[in-house]
Amino acid sequence: MSSRPLLLGVLQVKELSILLVTIAAGIYFTATSGAFNSTDNYQTIAQYVAPWSIIAAGQVMLLICGEIDLSAGFVFTLAPFMMMQFFVNGWPLWLALLGAIVVSTLVGLVNGLIRTVLAIPSFITTLGMAFLLQGLVLIISNARPVGVPKDSAVLDVFGGAHWTEFLWALGVVVVMQVVLSATRFGIHTQATGGNPVGAAESGIPINRVKVVNFAITSTLAGLAGILQGTRVGSYDPTNGGFTTMFFAVASAVIGGTALLGGSGTVAGAFLGALLLGIVFDGFNLNGVSANAFNVVLGAAILGAMVLNVSLIVVRKRLGSRERI
Amino acid sequence: MTAETGATSRRTALKFLGMGGTTAAASALLAACTSVQDAQNGGKSGPFPGTPGWRFVFVNHVTTNSFFVPTRSGLADAAALLGIPEPQWTGSENGNVAQMASAMETAINGKADGIAIALTDDNAFIDLTKRALGQGIPVIAYNAGAAGNFPLTYVGQDLYLSGFRMGQRIAQKVTTGEILVGIAQPGGNNVQPRLDGITDALKQAAPGVQVQSVNTGAEQAGELNAMTAAYTGNTAVKGIYAVDAGSTAACAKVITDHGLSGKIGAGGFDLLDDTVAGVKSGALDFTIDQSPYLQGFLSVLYLYLYRLSGTLIAPPATDTGLTFVTKENVGPYATAHSRFEGGDNKDVIAMPGAIPLPPASVLSR
Amino acid sequence: MTEGPVTEPEREVIRAEGISKKFGPVTALADVNLHVRRGEILGLIGDNGAGKSTLIKILTGYHQPDGGRLLFDGEPITLKSVVHARSLGIETVFQDLAMVNDLPVYLNLHLNRELTHRPLPFLRRREMKRRAREALDSIGIRIPSVTAEVGMLSGGQRQAIAVARSVYSKAKLLLLDEPLAAMGAKESAEILRLLRGLKQRGDIAIILIAHNYGQVMDVCDRVNLLQHGEITFDQYAKDTSVAELLELVNAEYRLDGNADSG
Repeated sequence: MSSRPLLLGVLQVKELSILLVTIAAGIYFTATSGAFNSTDNYQTIAQYVAPWSIIAAGQVMLLICGEIDLSAGFVFTLAPFMMMQFFVNGWPLWLALLGAIVVSTLVGLVNGLIRTVLAIPSFITTLGMAFLLQGLVLIISNARPVGVPKDSAVLDVFGGAHWTEFLWALGVVVVMQVVLSATRFGIHTQATGGNPVGAAESGIPINRVKVVNFAITSTLAGLAGILQGTRVGSYDPTNGGFTTMFFAVASAVIGGTALLGGSGTVAGAFLGALLLGIVFDGFNLNGVSANAFNVVLGAAILGAMVLNVSLIVVRKRLGSRERI
Repeated sequence: MTAETGATSRRTALKFLGMGGTTAAASALLAACTSVQDAQNGGKSGPFPGTPGWRFVFVNHVTTNSFFVPTRSGLADAAALLGIPEPQWTGSENGNVAQMASAMETAINGKADGIAIALTDDNAFIDLTKRALGQGIPVIAYNAGAAGNFPLTYVGQDLYLSGFRMGQRIAQKVTTGEILVGIAQPGGNNVQPRLDGITDALKQAAPGVQVQSVNTGAEQAGELNAMTAAYTGNTAVKGIYAVDAGSTAACAKVITDHGLSGKIGAGGFDLLDDTVAGVKSGALDFTIDQSPYLQGFLSVLYLYLYRLSGTLIAPPATDTGLTFVTKENVGPYATAHSRFEGGDNKDVIAMPGAIPLPPASVLSR
Repeated sequence: MTEGPVTEPEREVIRAEGISKKFGPVTALADVNLHVRRGEILGLIGDNGAGKSTLIKILTGYHQPDGGRLLFDGEPITLKSVVHARSLGIETVFQDLAMVNDLPVYLNLHLNRELTHRPLPFLRRREMKRRAREALDSIGIRIPSVTAEVGMLSGGQRQAIAVARSVYSKAKLLLLDEPLAAMGAKESAEILRLLRGLKQRGDIAIILIAHNYGQVMDVCDRVNLLQHGEITFDQYAKDTSVAELLELVNAEYRLDGNADSG
């Protein structure tokens, strides 16, 4: 008898469906490729997952309160170059890194202020910002990649040493999930998205909530960009971009965050990124070539979402029978 | 059973059929895609002993760009010739270096038998190359080379030299004024050296000429817009050139659209359809063939021989070509639609009656 | 004006004297005199466009009156803003209820008043759930679980929680703008029962705007009619009837022109 509430409790965990789908994907690729279950391969998957989940952690908050940041992919690209710019001008590396993060935060603040003060929809605001930043990157970098400074203890912590990029991702995901589900700010973010008029009537400073979430997202995007570039060994103007932003948002949505706002989960976004990483890496491992790759990737994502949604429906049906 | 419930159960049945059918179709599609590589499990090739089905991986920076269609034909032909499965073609669609690095890493983890990579970044592939070599996986660079890296060899065009020769050629026609030069990925290892070559050659041969570079972006569709905008903003230019395939095709279109054929200098690289048509019509003075087919074909051949001989046959550095294609010799490029240039025609192409004279040979001391 | 009820100034929560408000050339309110006492439910009726919403907005600090004055707890006051009004204990339950559907009952009850483990910013969910349970029970609202998402409840239940939230936040004056408009008979009865329970507690004053005069007579102590920018009728419910209210409101629009005088 006592197992039933436990089962229901588990079923009601929002992230259950995406977890099951991710496990299914893992099983599939284990079956089809001998090299899937190796530490090296896990590391490759982790390298896909880290940038997407870090950016997604912020995008989840924004999506929940009814906004989106399309420029995150270019803050990702810009941050390492800002860091090198400061470094080349004589700042110690740790300060240059900090400076780059601060610049990223400022971008988010600008996004948020344009959105709230000028009332321009975030889609347009951040789209404009995206192009602006893309141009800025090309100008600063002269469109050439820059090598990562070698033998830097600071950079070792930020992507240089093995697994650091992924560890940062885990840390970010944990912290943001706690912020979302265990702080007043998280509740206010949900209220701002779920009922902005009502939230404002209750005295919640919805504009401030949005601006803070924009700032969080772009800060995380800058951090992610520095981490990935450092790991790869090269800060490249081709890193990041719309594709990275898109996969981050996709991770969030696949993981259970509603595109139209009101509810979401950072842990789910991590699982969404994990699913995408497994699929990307798995098909590469299986030898799928470029043209077919996109077909297969698209089919896999669709299949995963169908499964995800079906599981959510089952969960809701079982859950609601127990309610009022 | 009333008509209504009959309809419902029919609908339900159709729904299940639909779901089942889609699932079946999806799995078939999946199987088809992933089994392309299992097609051949190795075999015998002419005089060579039988080999296991060596699995080579090509890592590319613009996997879906039409420039590389002949490269993929080349690698497929070589594989078929040698009795090994067709190599995997992966990497990034839009020049993303991190993605290419991940693809290379996956190839290493998956214990590929050989890797061919376009080295579009100086730093990102060094450690990976060392790791691959350390695990006994040969690595060859093709199409783009980089300093300070460790591929066994480079198979492709000498980028700086090709730009330099192009600059010399431009100087024959344009001696003063401004020229536009479109470049798809400024700073990219596979195109920037060409631009540098042009600039340096012009400094020597025609110092009165100013080079205005135009960033056209890596996507073919956008390149035309960028070149058009650049020209519209500067109609006094003496020439419109480009250093990559897509931008060159865009040049040809801009010149044709604005009726500038013969009035200003134009030329570029590679053999996209618009480019070849442009050379034929006179819109472009020349284009440069870097033989993408050979970049694929020879890379596979070199990896195969290297493995077969246990490193005795070391892959040689290979300049796949710097052929100026002009109105005189453009014929077969335009009409044959040969597989060697990305078309469907697999037939033997007829030889011309007389062969045009190549440039005079130059010995390197 | 007909003779009104006796006032008891010491129990008055709010009194409006000579309130007027114009929007451009349109006079919304001309000369409004109104008061509500602790433990009393005042029904405010009037035709659409009579100015009821404007009056509510002035009483809750959203608008400033052009003329007249307000007294709160006997003291003259200027309500600078909604937040200011709320801080004094004036709460409104709007038609949209200001509820967040994806959040559970107990969090909606604590919206913007969430409890945290000071100084750390972490929520005290268990404590909030307990207090929510207590608050709902004490008012007599029947919700099986305070963890249910508000979006899954019926309209009546959500209305009840909105009312509970105001009470929970120690409101002194509660204004309800057409709370029963979209509700069926059973749910309306629940809300009316709830309001009656509140009245009996004796510490809150309620102004209720409604169009269903049967419901108004059912739960209100007194009825005010807002007509042409003035309160033209102020009687205890027991001294009037649904028929009389209908007559008063519709008299000027009678088709046959035979309006009763007086």
